Amino acid sequence: MSIRIAVGKGSCGIAAGAQKVYDALESALQGSAVTLGTVGCIGMCWLEPIVDIYEDDRLAARLVQVQPKDAGIIADAAKSGDYSGVEALRITDGDSSFLTQQTRIALRNCGIIDPESIESAKAAGGYSAITHILKDGVSPEDVIECIKVSGLAGRGGAGFPTWFKWNAARQSAGDEKYLICNADEGDPGAFMDRAVIESDPHTLIEGMLIGAYAIGAKEAIVYVRAEYPLAIRRLAHAIKEARSAGYIGKSIMGSAFSCEFRIKAGAGAFVCGEETALIESLQGQRGMPRLKPPFPAQAGYWYKPSNINNVETFANVSWIINNGGEAFAAMGTEDSKGTKVFALTGKIRRGGLVEIPMGMTLRQVIFDIGGGIRGGKAFKAVQMGGPSGGCIPASLLDTVIDYKKLAATGAIMGSGGMVVMDEDTCMVSMAKFFLDFTAKESCGKCVHCRIGTKRLQEILTRIVEGKGRGGDIELLEELCSGVKDGALCGLGQTAPNPVLSTLRYFRDEFEAHITEKRCPAHTCTDLLHYEINADACKGCTLCAKKCPVGAISGSVKQPHSIDQKQCIKCGQCFANCKFGAVTVK
Amino acid sequence: MQCQCSKTQSDLSLLEPVLANYAAVKGSLITILQQAQEIYGYLPMDVIYHIAEKTGTTPARVLGVATFYTQFRFQPVGKYLIMLCDGTACHVNGSARIAAAVQEYLGVENGGTTADGLFSFSIVACLGCCSLSPVMMINEDTYGSLTPAKVLDILKEIQAKEAAQ
Amino acid sequence: MKEIHFTINGIPCTCEEGTSILQAAKLNGIEIPNLCNDESVRVYGACGLCAVEVLDDGRGKPVPKLLRACSAKAMDGYAVRFDTERVNQSRKIALELLMSDHTGDCRGPCQLNCPAGTDCQGYVKKIAEGDFHGAVEIIKEKIPIPASIGRVCPHPCEQNCRRGLVEAPLSIAFLKAHAADRDLEADTYRPQTAPETGKRAAVIGGGPAGLTAAFELRKKGHAVTVYDASAKMGGMLRYGIPAYRLPKDLLDREIAEIAALGITMKNGVRLGTDMTLEQLRSEYDAVILATGAWSSMAMRVPGEELGGVTGGIQFLHDISSGEGEIPDLSGKKVAVCGGGNTAMDACRTAIRCGADTVYVIYRRTRSEMPAEDIEIEESIEEGVTYKFLTNPAEIIGENGHVKQIKLQIMELGEPDASGRRSPVPVEGRFETLNVDLVIMAIGQKPDVSGLDGVALTKKGTIEADAATYLTNLENVYAIGDATNRGASIAIEAIGEGGRCAAVVDSVLRGEMKPYRAPFYSKKTVTAADLADREKLPRHQMPVRPAAERAKDFKPVNLGFSDETAIAEAKRCLECGCYDYHDCKLIRYAQQQEIHPERFDGEKNTHETERRLVCIERDNGKCILCGLCVRICDETAKQGILGMVGRGFPTVIKPEFNTPETVRVCADCMKCAAACPTGALKILTKN
Repeated sequence: MSIRIAVGKGSCGIAAGAQKVYDALESALQGSAVTLGTVGCIGMCWLEPIVDIYEDDRLAARLVQVQPKDAGIIADAAKSGDYSGVEALRITDGDSSFLTQQTRIALRNCGIIDPESIESAKAAGGYSAITHILKDGVSPEDVIECIKVSGLAGRGGAGFPTWFKWNAARQSAGDEKYLICNADEGDPGAFMDRAVIESDPHTLIEGMLIGAYAIGAKEAIVYVRAEYPLAIRRLAHAIKEARSAGYIGKSIMGSAFSCEFRIKAGAGAFVCGEETALIESLQGQRGMPRLKPPFPAQAGYWYKPSNINNVETFANVSWIINNGGEAFAAMGTEDSKGTKVFALTGKIRRGGLVEIPMGMTLRQVIFDIGGGIRGGKAFKAVQMGGPSGGCIPASLLDTVIDYKKLAATGAIMGSGGMVVMDEDTCMVSMAKFFLDFTAKESCGKCVHCRIGTKRLQEILTRIVEGKGRGGDIELLEELCSGVKDGALCGLGQTAPNPVLSTLRYFRDEFEAHITEKRCPAHTCTDLLHYEINADACKGCTLCAKKCPVGAISGSVKQPHSIDQKQCIKCGQCFANCKFGAVTVK
Repeated sequence: MQCQCSKTQSDLSLLEPVLANYAAVKGSLITILQQAQEIYGYLPMDVIYHIAEKTGTTPARVLGVATFYTQFRFQPVGKYLIMLCDGTACHVNGSARIAAAVQEYLGVENGGTTADGLFSFSIVACLGCCSLSPVMMINEDTYGSLTPAKVLDILKEIQAKEAAQ
Repeated sequence: MKEIHFTINGIPCTCEEGTSILQAAKLNGIEIPNLCNDESVRVYGACGLCAVEVLDDGRGKPVPKLLRACSAKAMDGYAVRFDTERVNQSRKIALELLMSDHTGDCRGPCQLNCPAGTDCQGYVKKIAEGDFHGAVEIIKEKIPIPASIGRVCPHPCEQNCRRGLVEAPLSIAFLKAHAADRDLEADTYRPQTAPETGKRAAVIGGGPAGLTAAFELRKKGHAVTVYDASAKMGGMLRYGIPAYRLPKDLLDREIAEIAALGITMKNGVRLGTDMTLEQLRSEYDAVILATGAWSSMAMRVPGEELGGVTGGIQFLHDISSGEGEIPDLSGKKVAVCGGGNTAMDACRTAIRCGADTVYVIYRRTRSEMPAEDIEIEESIEEGVTYKFLTNPAEIIGENGHVKQIKLQIMELGEPDASGRRSPVPVEGRFETLNVDLVIMAIGQKPDVSGLDGVALTKKGTIEADAATYLTNLENVYAIGDATNRGASIAIEAIGEGGRCAAVVDSVLRGEMKPYRAPFYSKKTVTAADLADREKLPRHQMPVRPAAERAKDFKPVNLGFSDETAIAEAKRCLECGCYDYHDCKLIRYAQQQEIHPERFDGEKNTHETERRLVCIERDNGKCILCGLCVRICDETAKQGILGMVGRGFPTVIKPEFNTPETVRVCADCMKCAAACPTGALKILTKN
């Protein structure tokens, strides 16, 4: 029996200290038969760093929140096969259920295989689909048909049928075609693309190879955010390995199919997630969207037929080829097939990557898998679709995850960010947060987005600062619909969504800010009012000591008071009072 | 004609290998700029003019591209570039308090560099480590689950390391 | 090539397959608004103004999204509209957003403050070029009697002239008079009239308001008759303004010019006695009441009924007309009550009638006087005595004739709503003056006899709608001193006359278009902004010596020479945008009602630069349509203009935006020619 220890080293794992754990284990295992390896991210980010002990291929122990000091006992357990010493580190059953409730296709190898080893990928079935296609002479048309049967839709957000885009690019005249992977994951709150590239780059490469074969492209390009250095390194390594193994290059596996791969690092512009802006950026230009039509399938990169899909979309492709389109289509709802990966974050107990079949409810994902809200607070809303999406309130928690059903709530499926908010989150300030983002990320080309998002942001800013005016809500609504109708690209057209959806469900919070100059969630500092309840105050002087501006006065053992003129509403007094004597309104 | 466009006098020879690889490959401008920034730490004006000349384009176009992307800088940057994430998850989990702590401790504004040239501070879009929010990157290292106290420890550790050298 | 058949706003159009809707519209003679499109460069799609709605895609279904006409292709059977509510709203938002970040003055502050909206900067520029006929052509778009108005107007234009922030405002009014005088000498400009419409309009009252309305309606091709109760046309200009300010032969010549357009003028006809409103209404398609305000307001003090107490207007009427006898006031003491321009006219006229002493009784101080300062100044020179901070309390008579006037001494109290400090009586303090004649010049009101059935305001003026000038009676309009807030200055009446004529014209042509104040972009300029301007003193109007002019009714002003007029005109700072008449942005912005102030917020503040060889770049007016950049790239093949930055703060800069730069542009000026606004201005090469 071979014993293997695997340390999860995705970006989040490393940030949580996985590299230090790895180094400690390496020295603790010196001279032992136990092998030490790297795996990617399993998606249970709140438990990082995670160390798995395998006996042959069987997971014998999953240890969580491991510290470098634990290396000794882990090494001992692995060497002896006696895990009693590491019981305290073992994942709980509750936490394990985070994984067992999922159905993993795109993430199937993440956290299990070594992302830096093509052999590890191949052992997990990597490259078997492309091998089957090329060796058994499956035609591009049949590949497209299989994808069509699967019902796979673009996972980047728009949810457009993948086969349709492939077919359009295939049908476009010309020899010079391009296949592009959009890994410019820019939605704040979404990180599944990073996780896939860092944890399982070969599955992405294989999916892209199949896509390139289907549309007839000889060149494949991955456009990755520059903020993902580890993903870029692992992908570059994987491309090198795949080229050596004969999966990339001329006459792949002796077939007539040739395909070159390269990586292009983005340079920091959210709008480049929009496919025509991405193409402009690939061409070394300012990433300003083009008018559509023509669509990229007709005139894309260098005005040649091009197909662009998202990372997660490609990560599903080889599974579909191997298991058949019907198997994929068997999962999900009538409208939305297969699975979808979500990045569950915010005020959630178990935050991480979740892949579930379409058709589960939001409640199941947030409460059953995610374990509900952290710190015993009440659930308020979940934000889906980032700056293009919206907030879904508690009353709609039983909404089924499906493109159409989510769109009906005013939010969107988007790329899969699910940011959970509790009662302490101010929804007006959330809307402002997203407009701050889109206004900053607007490329500036079209009037509606360049000036419209700026004006939306300004109106929201004055509302959270307590300077809102009567009529501001109506003005927001009018401007939102103007921007939606008039903006050039998807970024601008969807930029008003976070405002519209919060207005739809939390209009009373806007009204409270504007007319009563009150923030119901107590987060908009300009609207807060701290007071000391003289009956409850023991005169301990702690608040006065903590107050950074000396706004609190009072003698020892006498009730204190706050000078409202000096108060900067930092909340230190409130946070530090041991007697609950400080109140906030 | 010698370009007199900028007071800075960068060692343009450092750029030769990059230009040799990419100058003739169409669509490579962003890659060239990225590598130039690796070399110089930022994009000096004379480098921008030089790239324009060598790639057969115009300085207006190079500057247009460079100023479009947030990655590019036009001022020298500190040895340690702190990028604090302000994505949704980090925002919800209090990135503003971390920003305040860093700014107060280092005495720099967003986009600024400390007088000793050690740190630059910049608030950036989502770094994609949402589960560890709030998150920051210092150069290529990621730090998660930050608190104001924790971030100060990290900064002090770097300062101590630098002082020791 | 296949031919496509479709409709735009219901008009059938054809084009070749593959033509954009915008291009197809143009080929079919329809202009869809657009700012960023130019055929010489690739489509761009930034401005969003060309948004269209396709109500039928040829298969009976609407296209859900708005399309950009510049990129969407015309398809067989398409029913395209750019006049739907949704499209108008989208274009409105786009224009409002653009204007909310647009820094510039469409028109100069002079024009904006002119109640008639006269293009002062335009005619001043013509005068600076020595083109007096050209200047009058511009003036007569708004003012049919420029020589007269140039002499009498209190010129609100000059109040706001930015030269005032440098040293002193331009002498705009006198420039206008000068240009008009020169124009009247020979080759007098006379506007064309449009083909006859067959419609008939009656104007009641031949003062500034009525004459302007008649002039404008006649230009539009309508048959116009002006009726006036007096012996001659001119209204207050003839009967209220003394000849030393406005020579009556000059007024005659200007009125003759108006009549020469083919306007029937009937004098000595009074409404109510010689004809009825009902008759006129049945005879004409439109009736415009411009009957003026001819009754002096009473002071409501004891003794007003005494002999020797008269109204300012009554006093001036006969003398100013040059028709009646000039009364001999030698040895007499005269009190003029009031501080407005009528009071000035009355006191200076009294001096010219030989009065021994002329008092002006005014209850505040000189600085609060509504009269023009130059009038006060000249009246003092001519010997008028001012009794400031006094108010008539009683007129004391003897044998039914005025003997004395008792004045209440006043002091200034708290400022009132208008910001002027209101006078309050000083308890128990009075002053008594011996006088032979008291002239009440504290205001006028209309005489509404003969206006049966016309609704009046509480003030007793005719009630007229602010946007349509309609009275309560169908097809009866009212303008000028007789209406709403009552008497005002002549240029106000002229403004109303012109705007009312436009409304009446629209009605006569079948669709009422109420007046809507046009939108203009404006910016704030302070003295500091103009600190670098060379100081050029205002040219003073030469006048006859006081001792000489006080004895007769000949003109006080001697007039400018051509050289002086041209030099004065050259002081103009040209505040209004040079491109106003060609600017597409303002043209579209004025086509619909927009309110950019709703979106007031941060504006990009970019300085004007003169770095390009022959082009001045005012980035405050730039709308980032990118045409200059794209034309420099694609057409001129220079690529020296570029966008810098991203999003809202994006700015267009030439590469050699540093002084040391070596590259220069090819000087082709294609960018400036393509600019849809006034952001790029071609400078004359030196």
